[in-house]
Amino acid sequence: MKPDNPERNHALAAEYVLGTLHGAARKRFERWMMLSPKLRRQVWLWERRLQPFNESAPSMQPPADAWDALERRLFSAPETAAEPRAAAWWQSALPWRWTTGIAVAGLMALLIWTPVPPKAPESGLVGVVQGTQAQPLWVLNASRGDHSLTLRSLPPTLPASDDQDYELWLLPESGVPISLSVLPTEGAELRITLSHEQVKQLLQSRSLAISLEPHGGSPTGQPTGPVVYQTQLVDL
Amino acid sequence: MAAKEGMLVDQLAKVAQGDRAAFAGLYQQTSRAVYGQCMQLLRDNDEANDVLQETYIQVWHHAGEYHADRGSVLTWMMSICRYRGLDALRRRRTDVAFDTVAQNHACEKPGPMQNAGDMVDRQRLSDCLRDLDERYRNSIEMAYFRGFTHQELAVAMGQPLGTTKSWVRRGLNVLRQCLGS
Repeated sequence: MKPDNPERNHALAAEYVLGTLHGAARKRFERWMMLSPKLRRQVWLWERRLQPFNESAPSMQPPADAWDALERRLFSAPETAAEPRAAAWWQSALPWRWTTGIAVAGLMALLIWTPVPPKAPESGLVGVVQGTQAQPLWVLNASRGDHSLTLRSLPPTLPASDDQDYELWLLPESGVPISLSVLPTEGAELRITLSHEQVKQLLQSRSLAISLEPHGGSPTGQPTGPVVYQTQLVDL
Repeated sequence: MAAKEGMLVDQLAKVAQGDRAAFAGLYQQTSRAVYGQCMQLLRDNDEANDVLQETYIQVWHHAGEYHADRGSVLTWMMSICRYRGLDALRRRRTDVAFDTVAQNHACEKPGPMQNAGDMVDRQRLSDCLRDLDERYRNSIEMAYFRGFTHQELAVAMGQPLGTTKSWVRRGLNVLRQCLGS
């Protein structure tokens, strides 16, 4: 039965906004609201009447991770709002197939492309490898000028177990990974000089991956362990 | 301050068209006020964070449903936040910290998003509340700020359920007469 008594409408709308209308009665009222524009207007009126209560709440800075979490919930992967076009290349990035380990990669790491800094000191490519908590683990810079790839580990250093190492791979468009280096467990920065061919392939695919390998690196020259991180370089 | 509201309306209109940059701007402008309200109602960081996100998810999906009858953009968002917050309270509530109910009166410090029109509204509500029977006022404020149900109000105020129900109803009725439309 719909509440058609104006006094009762007022009372229900007020208690709906106040919150004292709850449980089944609240659900019922929400259904009535869908059917009755008059009832909806009563509710809006009460929302406006009691709005000054809301303003008495002191403003508080939301947790720093709230926005990223919100973007993840809404759009699956974060995007820098100031760079809305970034979505295009992110979405168009070809999924890279590496049958062993890609599922593990999905579980272990969330890779997010970096926003392009507004003022780049030099021409090159940049990427950030992030952990599951969106904390940056490594920053990668590729310089066109001297063919170097710099990998900076951000503290705290990633823990690989005693008998395992992380290995960095270039993923060319041909699909066969090329080993670039075993990542040192100590030292903040690793600089690798790439060959002409590697630079060419990196500029084409812009993809890098990190796998977990036996101590000292893959014994076969191809990844044997799970791919734990993957990143895409973007233009500075 | 009318310019600020105009800006929020512009941003919301863009959000309704799927503009993520405008959504980020709207979040930047309003999230402190919204989160403050989440915290006031829920008093729990994790839950407040979750309700904050749910609020903005709803804003993203329903931006086009906003219109001026809902009040200012912030009023609309605060209402969404409050309803989501009440849902969260009802889900979790098994035990209520009744010892702190005395601190629930509206504080007199103006919030940062307040504009001249809000000041008038606030003053009116404040005047009407002041003239209200203390028992009515307390029940309304506890229900609003803590999300208390009738039953919880009865426990908090040491009164029979029927009594607190009637205090809320009468209080709201007097408030409506006083505030008008």
